[in-house]
Amino acid sequence: MSDNIKNGEVLIRVENLSKSFGDNLVLDDISMEIKKGDVISVIGPSGCGKSTFIRSLNLLEEPTGGSIFFEGTDITERGVDIRQIREKIGMVFQQFNLFDNMTVKKNIMLAPVKLKLMTKEQAQTRAMELLETVGLADKADNYPSQLSGGQKQRVAIARSLAMEPDVMLFDEPTSALDPEMVGEVLNIMKDLATKGMTMVVVTHEMGFAREVSTRTIFIDGGKIQEDDVPEKVFTDPKNERLRDFLKSVL
Amino acid sequence: MKKWKKFSLFFILTAALTGLFTTTVSAVSPFILLGGKEGDLQPEILQRLYDNFVKDDRWKYLVEGLGRTLLITVVAMIIGTLIGFLLAIIRVAHDKNGSVPVLNVIARLYITIIRGTPVMIQLLIIYFVIFASVDIDKMLVAIIAFGLNSAAYVSETVRSGIMSIDNGQFEAAKSLGLGFPAAMIHIILPQAFKNILPALGNELIALLKETSISGYIGLMDLTRGGDYIRSVTYEAFLPLIAVALIYLVIVILLSAGVSKLEKRLKKNER
Repeated sequence: MSDNIKNGEVLIRVENLSKSFGDNLVLDDISMEIKKGDVISVIGPSGCGKSTFIRSLNLLEEPTGGSIFFEGTDITERGVDIRQIREKIGMVFQQFNLFDNMTVKKNIMLAPVKLKLMTKEQAQTRAMELLETVGLADKADNYPSQLSGGQKQRVAIARSLAMEPDVMLFDEPTSALDPEMVGEVLNIMKDLATKGMTMVVVTHEMGFAREVSTRTIFIDGGKIQEDDVPEKVFTDPKNERLRDFLKSVL
Repeated sequence: MKKWKKFSLFFILTAALTGLFTTTVSAVSPFILLGGKEGDLQPEILQRLYDNFVKDDRWKYLVEGLGRTLLITVVAMIIGTLIGFLLAIIRVAHDKNGSVPVLNVIARLYITIIRGTPVMIQLLIIYFVIFASVDIDKMLVAIIAFGLNSAAYVSETVRSGIMSIDNGQFEAAKSLGLGFPAAMIHIILPQAFKNILPALGNELIALLKETSISGYIGLMDLTRGGDYIRSVTYEAFLPLIAVALIYLVIVILLSAGVSKLEKRLKKNER
């Protein structure tokens, strides 16, 4: 599927997306597009709905209204096999969520083998390649409990990449890390961005948002308040809430 | 190796202590109860041991009873574990995805009824009501009754184990395109099992001892075997203490096995 979509073409289209938990409206009529090759950073104050937004993109949160098209398919429609869609959408979590009962290598191999995308041997080779790229080949046979936070997150990224996704979602990937480990994870993400991976990153790392992303989205009150190139968002914020937010974080 | 040494030391100590206790009590009690003289003690106790366990091959009641007790326990445990896991998975699938609503109601009803009534009544109902008109092996009845009973308890234990696993593990599996069954089998259940192993061991021990009511449907299990000896020798003390000791030893062996398994599973993490 992905090969049909060229750089700059729409990969994900969000139309009038809304989500409420009970009476609490968290996402309020959001519409936007993600094009192939985009590196989008999503910023905003805590509780603004940015995590709910990114988690809606692979339906970890069920939207209460609107549609999400992935490579042309409306994934919110009944009868769509969301599992097949999720194979193409990688996700990296704040809490890493490595499978604690298996080694690093098995973590990476599990999904491609069980979903019959690769043989065990292929998955093993691929896992070692990916661990090489995230600099953790020597940890292949360790269990997650033996890794530092930064190492865990690098493995989590490798695990997502093993599925060869068309887009990667990062939900505050460095927020649970000790400060000295933030850099190693951001570097891997930077590499991915340079290699052309389409990425959506919910982050508090304003430096990363500014330098690496091609677009920055500011969400507040469940709405996209600003959506522009990072230079504009950071140096010439039009929205007043954005100005307040930037003042408080920079 | 070191752990085994520790365990055997513990085992020998327990056995020695219970042995000491029993012989002391049995040596003194006739003295107190029958008002016998001190000199009579030695031959008296030997005579009683002979009467209760050797004469007419009475030890066979205990050995054969133990065999039945163990067979009921092991097969009931297997049935209970299989059905218990199934019930737990149904309930979790319902809680997480809202799927299988009908099965969920059935599972909840089952657990409520089984936990809400005494296991002895369940045993009697299965034997005297459900299989009333059928000529069925009492062993089979006991296995079914205890297996079905255990399943309800195992299922709640398993469910609590599954719920103790962070939802992030589920979400990570989902995000990779894995379905509920694959996530359960490869990720959630292996972790949950490790967490609930002590509780499952507990359930197994409870099950073993619960089977002692099998005599109520006329099954010659270990308890009934000891009780039978009592009824022919008119002596309660020795046969009942012997039965108690046998249960104790089995339970000690079971808990040792469980903690060994626990340690082995734990090693996988580090």
